[in-house]
Amino acid sequence: MTLHIVNQSPHANNALGDCLQAYVEGDALLLIEDGVYAATGQHDLPESNVYCLKADAEARGISIKSPIEGVDEVRWVSLCTEHNPIVSWFK
Amino acid sequence: MKFTLVVYGAPHASEGAATALRFARALLQSDHGIYRVFFYGDGVHGGSALSAPPQDEQNLLGQWQELQSAHDLDLTICIAAAQRRGVLSSSEASRLEKPAGNLADGFELAGLGQLAEAAAVSDRLVTFGG
Repeated sequence: MTLHIVNQSPHANNALGDCLQAYVEGDALLLIEDGVYAATGQHDLPESNVYCLKADAEARGISIKSPIEGVDEVRWVSLCTEHNPIVSWFK
Repeated sequence: MKFTLVVYGAPHASEGAATALRFARALLQSDHGIYRVFFYGDGVHGGSALSAPPQDEQNLLGQWQELQSAHDLDLTICIAAAQRRGVLSSSEASRLEKPAGNLADGFELAGLGQLAEAAAVSDRLVTFGG
């Protein structure tokens, strides 16, 4: 299944929305960079398999809302090994 | 597993350039291999030897070069994107009659075919967008 990576703020453009349109059950979503602004609990996200890069959330003062799971870079690598393909949404 | 990273983000303009470096470090730490890092679009600015960021800012070029020499990384810059943006090897500079080359040590210029080949050979391809 696909690992989707979103690095854009949900307030900046529709990258997250486009990603969610392509998202199917069993996929995973990782929020990085400004994408972590979607991890506050105020955005509709899949109910499971949503991850957020902890360092990027901390850099922005964002608390990661459960059930979104905070991950470090090493866990990001293992998410990449567990999924294929890996699709980055950055526009 | 063999990974290929594609970097679209320009240093100092996009966070993607720095994120790619963090991810590359985590990959090497996790005992995975990096088959190639391909710099494309504005990402080619990452291979300019002339960048001179202030000392209190992150020096992405120097960090890529350190990682390259420590792990013998293949850092490939898209030649067509690089020519448009003024990132030239010495030989390209003289062929194009430009005053000087500025391709940083540790980086190589190559065509888009090298991205296709890396995608075919690698287990995973991860893109770092601008």
